[in-house]
Amino acid sequence: MNSAVILKQVPDTEALIKVKPDGTGIVKEGVKFVINPYDEFGVEEALKKKEAAGSGEVTIVSIGPDRSVESIRTALAMGADKGVLLKIGEDEYSDALATAKALAEELKGKDYKIIFCGKQAIDDDMAQIGPMVAELMGLPCVTVVTKVDVSGDKAVCSREIEGGKEIVEVALPAVISCQKGLNEPRYASLPGIMKAKKKPLDIKDTKLDAPKATIDKWENPPQRAAGRIIEGDDAAAKAAALVKALRQEAKVI
Amino acid sequence: MADKFISERNLKFLINEVFDAPSLLQFPRYSHHTPEVFDMVIDTAMKMGRDLLKPSFEEMDKNPPRFEAGAVKVHPSVKRLMKECGEGGWISAVASLEVGGQQLPFTVGLIPTFVFSAANYSASNYPGLNMGAAHLIESFGSQEQKDTYIPLLFSGAWQGTMALTEPQAGSSVGDITTTASPTDKDYYLIRGQKIFISAADHDCVDNVVNLMLARIEGAPPGLKGISLFIVPKKRFDNDGNLVPNDLAILGIYHKMGYRGCPITQLSLGDNGDCRGWLVGEPNRGLYYMLQMMNEARLVVGMNAAAIASAAYYACLQYTRERPQGRPITSKDPSAPQIPIIEHADIKRMLLFQRAVIEGSLGLLFQCTVYSDLMLAHEGDEREKYSLLLDLLTPVAKTYPAEMAIHSVSQALQCLGGYGYCDEFPIEQHYRDTRIHPIHEGTTGIQALTLLGRNVVMKNGKALTLFLDEVEGAIKKAGARPELAAHAAQLKKAVEKLKEVIGHLVGIATGGNIDLFLADATLFMEFFGVIAVAWQWLLQALAAQSALAKGASPSDEDFYTGKMYAFRYFFAYELPKTEGMAQRLLTIDDLTLSMKPDYFSD
Repeated sequence: MNSAVILKQVPDTEALIKVKPDGTGIVKEGVKFVINPYDEFGVEEALKKKEAAGSGEVTIVSIGPDRSVESIRTALAMGADKGVLLKIGEDEYSDALATAKALAEELKGKDYKIIFCGKQAIDDDMAQIGPMVAELMGLPCVTVVTKVDVSGDKAVCSREIEGGKEIVEVALPAVISCQKGLNEPRYASLPGIMKAKKKPLDIKDTKLDAPKATIDKWENPPQRAAGRIIEGDDAAAKAAALVKALRQEAKVI
Repeated sequence: MADKFISERNLKFLINEVFDAPSLLQFPRYSHHTPEVFDMVIDTAMKMGRDLLKPSFEEMDKNPPRFEAGAVKVHPSVKRLMKECGEGGWISAVASLEVGGQQLPFTVGLIPTFVFSAANYSASNYPGLNMGAAHLIESFGSQEQKDTYIPLLFSGAWQGTMALTEPQAGSSVGDITTTASPTDKDYYLIRGQKIFISAADHDCVDNVVNLMLARIEGAPPGLKGISLFIVPKKRFDNDGNLVPNDLAILGIYHKMGYRGCPITQLSLGDNGDCRGWLVGEPNRGLYYMLQMMNEARLVVGMNAAAIASAAYYACLQYTRERPQGRPITSKDPSAPQIPIIEHADIKRMLLFQRAVIEGSLGLLFQCTVYSDLMLAHEGDEREKYSLLLDLLTPVAKTYPAEMAIHSVSQALQCLGGYGYCDEFPIEQHYRDTRIHPIHEGTTGIQALTLLGRNVVMKNGKALTLFLDEVEGAIKKAGARPELAAHAAQLKKAVEKLKEVIGHLVGIATGGNIDLFLADATLFMEFFGVIAVAWQWLLQALAAQSALAKGASPSDEDFYTGKMYAFRYFFAYELPKTEGMAQRLLTIDDLTLSMKPDYFSD
């Protein structure tokens, strides 16, 4: 079973993110980049499905600057078969639609039974790429998926919904966006790491369409104000002061 | 930056900028790798350390192994760990391609060990023991032994151990009494007891294979009569089924630290049917074991530096967050308190930890580089690297092992009362690291090896090579204005080292061997500080080159911090050698003449 995984390289969840003083983006220097964790579920699921089917290829498709090659290689070391990087400049930005168009262009006309992607990227949290790619390719899309059973030309997926789960049957090919709980991604193995360098990785210079939505400014969330300890001679006085503060200052009672 | 336990940046600095590990790829032995492979090894090791080992760090300490109905139960996470390390090829990382390994240079192959032991020292030992056991079989075992045992050790399905110690024979390994009686089959019958054997029984593997020292009946007494055997807990019968091998677990010891991994007491051959298979030639066991022990000693040094690193990062985070006190010159008691990292004495303690950890790591990677170069060369060059490795191995074990205790202690000190409580991880690190001067040869044994054997071996050839290496670094640093004073300082210390060695060897040639070796441990300490100072000078050279080329802002902080830790070592640690030299140059039999009777109170 051939499948593709849309993969984005994002700052490590543990990295300390600083906004540039002029608010045009984040400081990338010194930041470690990793595979978007939700995309990693996609890689694992694609590998599992290939293993269950006993044949097929897993192709990793990413858009990003040169450094994204490292993340594609990591996915290849996990067991994926080949990679494609749609290369853009380090600070080249467009919106989700332009990104999805470039991806759809790359993905179309291939024999992918499922296109996996993360439910969202943890850096800009837009959660738009999967559904947009599906729409542009005329494919069905199931989002926030925690289980996928493939049989023949359809798949039965579980999705997380408020207070329970929804079971969806979808005709293949389809786009499936992955949620935590779908699987536990494997670690790259050392033999896998050594094989990864020999697997095909196609780097294509890419020009994205101009964005229709632009980012005006980046800023940090406001600093949380310090807490206050209510002073008073005894418990009764402190309670009275607290009630007063809650009513008059916080206006919650 | 929650729960940082090692610096990936520093690892990359050491292997790329100080030791130029990618240059190892020019040798046919390593040419199937690429620098990207090295980076991905570090990345994956970090991920596994963080996600697979660290989560059970405290739990394994709080719920140590249990001995029930003659068997040992350990933390269930060990099963997954062995499987992942086996399937992922991490146990076989440095093993040769012929036996199914990846033949990574030791310099890179040891990085997962460092990362794993910083994440969870006890857990890291289970796969680590397999590396040593498999390497011993690879080096000296028969083809059949290799085919039988190595795949099972590499896959993590079986546990490997090193079984040397007996109740009456610890440091004095020549006094072991476990016996091996020849039979008319291909095996010997083993009888005896072993103690303090790490992981010799547990429920997360299918079987255990002990690499055990024993004495063949009639063998000469002492070190020359020791042979090496493979003694599995369960053995294969004629149908290929696993059956018990008459090896009983008598119990486990309850340890101060390193509590996640059991140390067991074994009884062999209670029913006269414990079978052992000879590895290599009879009576060569100690020689074989020492080959493995030298590697294991570097691993112990890595483990110690790793634990100190984990303690340092826990401490660093606390010192940034804990407000306490005001600047000494501040007169206003209502002014807000400052984070303790702003106090000079806290910075001193943090710098001390870095000086120890990063200096130790330098010396350890220097040894792995010598090991890698040794395997990549033949003839004289091979001998050169082999001698350097031999000379420095006891130092690279002992300096980190001894100093990690002090380093973790300073980490604990920074947290005050909280450091002493188990709400924070440092008290566990402190207990965990205390084993290192004890196992794989105590500090006393390492010191005797260094002074009594290594310094004088081959007429001091290893020592001469070492002094050449140090003097080479001094010369390079001397040519850089910003390092010239430090180079001169180390030169002076090296002159003192030569003087001390000349003095001690003089005592030895005068025939007073007892006096020659009486202060071997102090000599080890003296030698260790100088060796680590040499490593700091190499790191300073690399940092200065990077700064001179122009570094990005975060790199500039890194290199500047590196230079401060370097300066700290030369300002606070290296001068200690002067006092040690004073003692080492004095002829005084104080410890020799002190009689046991005088210890009456």
